[in-house]
Formats: sequence, structure tokens, C-alpha cells
Amino acid sequence: MQDDEPSLNIPSLLTLAVVSFFVLRWFLNRDDSPSSGGRPRGRGNAVDPAQVEQIIQMFPQLSVREIMWDLQRNGGSVAATTERILTGRGLETPPPSFQPQITLPSTSTQSTPTSRTPLVSKSDAQDLISRYNLKGQLATEPGPDAPTSPASASGWSQNKEERQRLLQKRRDDMILAARRKMEQKSQAQPK
Amino acid sequence: MASSVAQKRLFHEYKNLSTNPPEGITAGPVSEDDMFYWEALIEGPGGTPFEGGVFAAELKFPKDYPLSPPTMKFVSGGVWHPNVYPNGTVCISILHPPGDDPNHYEHASERWSPIQSVEKILISVMSMLAEPNDESPANVEAAKMWRERRSEYEQKVRDEVRKGLGL
Repeated sequence: MQDDEPSLNIPSLLTLAVVSFFVLRWFLNRDDSPSSGGRPRGRGNAVDPAQVEQIIQMFPQLSVREIMWDLQRNGGSVAATTERILTGRGLETPPPSFQPQITLPSTSTQSTPTSRTPLVSKSDAQDLISRYNLKGQLATEPGPDAPTSPASASGWSQNKEERQRLLQKRRDDMILAARRKMEQKSQAQPK
Repeated sequence: MASSVAQKRLFHEYKNLSTNPPEGITAGPVSEDDMFYWEALIEGPGGTPFEGGVFAAELKFPKDYPLSPPTMKFVSGGVWHPNVYPNGTVCISILHPPGDDPNHYEHASERWSPIQSVEKILISVMSMLAEPNDESPANVEAAKMWRERRSEYEQKVRDEVRKGLGL
């Protein structure tokens, strides 16, 4: 019996040591300890520049490094990073050892030009009808109950496109209602 | 980190302005992809030469909003008004940061602070249209006309209002 026990234990102890070595190694590599090589081997550290670009366009004020760090840590999920930003948790500051090759064209804090180009390109001296392309809608006669209820379309939607559409409709309605009212007024009392 | 605070706050304000819009005001981001760039429409207040008009303005928010105020600029023609620069930029105390009062005539409570909001700005601008503040003219010509030749001023405003609506 007494001779048996150590011979049984040594292999199991060895196994335990080997297993815990691998478990520890796995943990160390998964977490951000940069000490021993640091890089997650499986994923590589290449972050898809297209993904970074995608997030930069939504949140131009964020730093590319933070975005890349977060993308790398969540396995390249744009949705997870976006979610994290939107819920207000913010992105973690990457450790100084994290030095990705930044290949994006620019990291300026300027807001995306894409969303505002259509407005800027319009002349500032335009009237609202041409500014918002309402000429077509102006020609169509207002429905019997349409004329002066600009606030009717107030509302909110969980859907981003729907919200955008509602806002645009409220804007257009407000302008069209004012225009029609003004037309009626000038017909009633021609100068 | 601060900018996500700003984005959350702006989104919240956008939601409030959409579900419960103040009379004569429509405002929201031009595109939700950039919450720091808004466009607003304000109706001209009744009983003033601005009555019946609709005025479009752009609002640009700083990254540290609501610590710092946005800037507001009337677009498409601008507005002939003593407190609106000829390029359309609005000059009104609520848009000035509390520490910054070069003219020493504004009360701290009138100026920008994080407890103000887009809605309060737009309402202030609406009442500014009705009652110009003669103490700090941004458009000296308009201020002079408003002071000395009121009927000419009112006629000019009325003409601009009609022009703004494409008439």
C-alpha cells in the first residue's frame, strides 16, 4: 500500500501540472497581459481596416487605436464595438505595447463629410422649397385634412430609418404648411 | 469617452424633441451617423414681422457637449435681425459659455450651462426674433434699421420671409 501510493500520485501530479500550465497559459494569452509574447496567436493581430473605417465613420471622434484594440479583443465584431460605444461604456485605452499598423487614410477628428455634403453643396441663399426639394410636393394639392397640422406627424420609432423619415416628414410638413398659409394670405389681401 | 456622453445626451434630446415637440420647432440630426450636426426649423413668432415664416438653422455641437454650447447658424438666406450676423450665425446669450462674457451685460443664468438644452436654445431664439436685444448687435445695419426705421425693417423682414418660402 505504502509503496503503491506515490507511484499512483506522481503521474497524476504531472498531469495536473501540465494541465494547469496550459490553462494558465491560455488565460494569460486571452487577457491583455502583454508579458510573454502577448499577441493572441489564433486570431493574429490583423484588424480588418474596413471594419475600423466603418466605425470611424459612425464615430469620427474616436481614436483609431482604441477602435482597433476593441475590435481585436472582441474578435473583429463591428456590432459588439458599436454596441459598446452606444451604451456609453466607451472603449478601453489600449496598453502602450499595442501598436497596430494604422493604414487608414486619416484619423482627423473632423466629422464625416459624407453626411453633410448634400447640404453644404446647396447654395446658402436658397429658399426652403428648393433646399428640401419640395417643389413636387407643392404642386400636389393638400388633402382635405392636411393643410395646417404640422405637428401631427410627431413621433418616435425604434428604427433608425423610420426616425429619419419621421423627422423629414415633420420638416417638410412644416415648410409646406407655412408656404400654403402664406399663399392664402397673399391671395386674401393682395398688395 | 466624453464624446459618448455627448452622443447619449444628444440622442436623448433628439428623442424628447421628437416625441414632445415644442410648438413651431422641428429639430434633429441631419443623419444619425453624426449626432453632432443638427438641423432645426423654427417658425416665426406670431405678431411679429417674422410671422408665417419658417427658418432653417444648423446646429453644430462640440465633442464636450453639454459642457460647451453648440453654435447655431441660420442657413438658406440668413435672417435680417440685429442679433444675427450677416452670415447667419446667431448671437444670443444662451449660446455663450458661462465664463466668457466679453461685454459684461449678460447674467450667468442666461448663458450656457449643461442644464440648458437644444429645446431651450430654440425657444430662446424664437423669442429673440420677436424681441431683438439692442445691446449687442451682431448685424449693425439691421440694428440701426430696427432702431431708426422700424417700418422699413419690418418690411424687409416680411419680404425675406416670403422669399424663404419660395414666393
